[in-house]
Amino acid sequence: MWISMGPQHPMTHGLWTLKVKVDGETIVDADPELGYLHRSVEKMGERRKYFMNTTLTDRLCYASSTTWTHCYALSVEELMDVEVPQRAQYIRTIMLELQRLASHLMWAGAYMPDLGHITGALYFWRDRELFLNLLELPSGSRLLYNYIRIGGVKRDLPDGFEEKTERILKLFEQRLDEYADLFENSKIFRMRTEDVGKFTASQAQNLGITGPNLRGCGTKFDLREHDTYEIYEEIDWEIQTREAGPGYGDCFSRYMVRIDEMRESISIIRDCFKKMPSGPTMASNVPVRATGEAFRRTEDPRGEALMYVVGDGSDRPYRWKIKSPMFTTISACPYYLKGYKVADIPAIMGSIDICIGETDK
Amino acid sequence: MEIKSFMQKLSSHKGITEVGLIRKSVVKFNLEKEGSKDFFIRLKDDFGFEHCSLISAIDNQPQFELVYHFSAINGSVFVKDSSAAVMAEIHIFLERDTPTVDSISDLWFGANWHEREAFDLMGIYFIGHPDLRRVLLPEGFAGHPLRKDYVYEIHEEEW
Amino acid sequence: MSLFSVCRLMAEWTAQYMLIPIFNFQEGLFPPFSNPAGSVADWLGTDGGLDTLAWAYAVNIAFAVGMTNLILVIHLERKIAARIQDRRGPMLSFRSFRELGEDLAGTAPSWRFKQNYTGIGILQNMADGIKAITKELIVPAKADKFLFTMGPIIFISSSVFLLVLFPLSDRFAASSAPAGLMVIMAAFSIAPIGVLTSGWASNNKYSMIGGMRSAAQLMSYEIPLLLSMAGVFLLAGSFDPVVIVEQQQESTWLFGLPMWNFIPQFIGFIVFMICILAEVERVPFDLPEAEAELVEGWTTEYSGIRYMLFLAAEYIRGFAGAAVATILFLGGWAGPWPVPPEIWFLLKVYLILIFWIFIRWSVPRIRTDQILELGWKKLLPLSLINILIVIFMVEIYPYFIEIVTLPEVF
Repeated sequence: MWISMGPQHPMTHGLWTLKVKVDGETIVDADPELGYLHRSVEKMGERRKYFMNTTLTDRLCYASSTTWTHCYALSVEELMDVEVPQRAQYIRTIMLELQRLASHLMWAGAYMPDLGHITGALYFWRDRELFLNLLELPSGSRLLYNYIRIGGVKRDLPDGFEEKTERILKLFEQRLDEYADLFENSKIFRMRTEDVGKFTASQAQNLGITGPNLRGCGTKFDLREHDTYEIYEEIDWEIQTREAGPGYGDCFSRYMVRIDEMRESISIIRDCFKKMPSGPTMASNVPVRATGEAFRRTEDPRGEALMYVVGDGSDRPYRWKIKSPMFTTISACPYYLKGYKVADIPAIMGSIDICIGETDK
Repeated sequence: MEIKSFMQKLSSHKGITEVGLIRKSVVKFNLEKEGSKDFFIRLKDDFGFEHCSLISAIDNQPQFELVYHFSAINGSVFVKDSSAAVMAEIHIFLERDTPTVDSISDLWFGANWHEREAFDLMGIYFIGHPDLRRVLLPEGFAGHPLRKDYVYEIHEEEW
Repeated sequence: MSLFSVCRLMAEWTAQYMLIPIFNFQEGLFPPFSNPAGSVADWLGTDGGLDTLAWAYAVNIAFAVGMTNLILVIHLERKIAARIQDRRGPMLSFRSFRELGEDLAGTAPSWRFKQNYTGIGILQNMADGIKAITKELIVPAKADKFLFTMGPIIFISSSVFLLVLFPLSDRFAASSAPAGLMVIMAAFSIAPIGVLTSGWASNNKYSMIGGMRSAAQLMSYEIPLLLSMAGVFLLAGSFDPVVIVEQQQESTWLFGLPMWNFIPQFIGFIVFMICILAEVERVPFDLPEAEAELVEGWTTEYSGIRYMLFLAAEYIRGFAGAAVATILFLGGWAGPWPVPPEIWFLLKVYLILIFWIFIRWSVPRIRTDQILELGWKKLLPLSLINILIVIFMVEIYPYFIEIVTLPEVF
């Protein structure tokens, strides 16, 4: 019997259909369908000039919009051979890590009601408000920033940003310790998420799964170190991995990886503030036309984001290809849904952290 | 193995027309269409590129170009004195009328939906793909929008 | 001076001044109806008729008290849940009318925009009720119309039936069945019929799955529930709530405090609490109506007043479950003198309910197969152990003490 968790469903974060074939309570097969949110961003990008596309990339994934603009800016800077000044790189890193915190809190706040714990949603989203207020100070808006531009950032950080950030980070660290008591040490949470949604690391690499989902299986692979960009080389930070057993991961290990990543982001932000130099925040001569092809990949909170830009000498991109980590992860859902019960679907699909905006382009 | 020896070993494969190095950790190959599957099998089995990152389709009038990106996550190919993960970028050129190429979705499952998207938006047919249908656009949509000669007004009544 | 005697007085007064004159008047009016009307008037004059009328009044008063408690329980849940979640909860109350009037008249003070119609929030339930009544009642196209309507009726009627069955104290009893608690548990068990009917009649795969899950959970938790209650019945020797509470008031321990049943039968108390949570389908056991994967489960297709009846029935069952727990284990209406026993009873019931509200908003829910595993594999053996302990205490221990203290043995 095919059950369709159709486009309108409280569980599916985003607009997509998951058809599952059930035999009693057990899942036998799964068939996802996308495309409800396809906005033809790539075709639109071919009609707009290079610098105009930063507003489009913000709206690719609305939960973590800075990382997509950043990926686009990096690939276009590689194409045009533009050198970004040091201070701009530090500011970009700070915004990226704040965005990573906000995105992971959004994920956690959406994951908890799937398991039945509505209070969790409110706690995590209350903390997300703190970070959205912080991100509003330099850029002017809470969700879609348009702050990172080709060649640098739009303007410098405002006065007092560092003190405010430090205050909020200290508060957030205490709250993370509280949440550890409430969620990780809760027997029922563990019952729901352990031994559920398992896949091994080698399977994940073949299936195209990257990011915290892969690090939840024990593989130490993080694009901030293995394909480094900005100033991640000058900051000491560690890759966080967890595994549920030798070589495989389940929902609980993926949850813990993201919580550990949040703590790591806090230390990265503090380190950036210590080491930030002064200087210009935008490259002095950003060309308008570009020829050739270039690609860069960055570590999105959800996985590996890759943008491949082809220029033909005019001031608009000839072809712009976006790779979203969730595209392949959703396609692999038969592999980690088979054999579990229907009641496990929210727990598994929630731990994968879906954002349909970037998947459907 | 080191990236330079990897480049040398693979540039002698049949069908490679051009080899280059982008950015110290990315190797670029130009590949012929016939027998491309053997190259991919060799890339996966012998050199350990187990992650298929992206398959892009570009419409260079008058021909199509497919760009494959793979990465070696487990470090079987590495760059000396750096922790960068090595990537391989492979270009395949196809003709305009009936662009077909062998599918690699049985080697890498991650390539499955990328090939479906290339078919959906650009019209490239992959031989041997288990389930080649539209993924982003609805079924029944006519035309391949990302081509440069796609005109919306012709298809407007159909949709 | 019990509820029944008050109602009997009310019955006599109303029968004498209102009902019998009406029926006598009607006798001479319509010849086809005259004979029955006359005999009704005669019957009302007798003892049996007045007793029946008194019971009717008593049931209505108990129903009114139960419904008032329902409103209070819903309000308490929403406010406490909100405070746990760092927000205030519903704030619409009589004060909002005054503030609305001030806004319309233009005399609102300047800080009003910060305070936004605050109040205790007691009118929110009425607002929700009005909203539910005015919504369109939709019946799905291929659904079985008769069963679709009967499902909620079975569910809510069995739940409301519970409200009049348990006494609030030994003098406030609307029913005097000697098998009181057994009737209560039987009324609890009618609910799966309503659940299955609604789930099946909705013509919806999700609702059917939800209905079946719910029925499985309810039926598999009946057994540990009844077994854990069996310990109390053995100790008290009767099913009557009055007798059980009296038994709890008799035995004393430390400083003359009465030994309520939750101390000797600790295991039974814990098993009973878990089972009654599963029986009334509160979190962590509310997977059948889980929003996440089944979109409200067996109540998906219901709208308007039918849906509100389901919700109200669940809260009534929760209240009744807490009342049963209080009677059995926490000493019912026993308490020191200045406070009337009814108030003691309600206090204890609300204590249990607040504890359940805390659990509900702090804990995720458990999957169905884990719930069933918990019920069959862990709670059933525990309840059997509890019965063994009670049997030992009640039957064997006295003889054992007698044997041991015989002068011939020691």
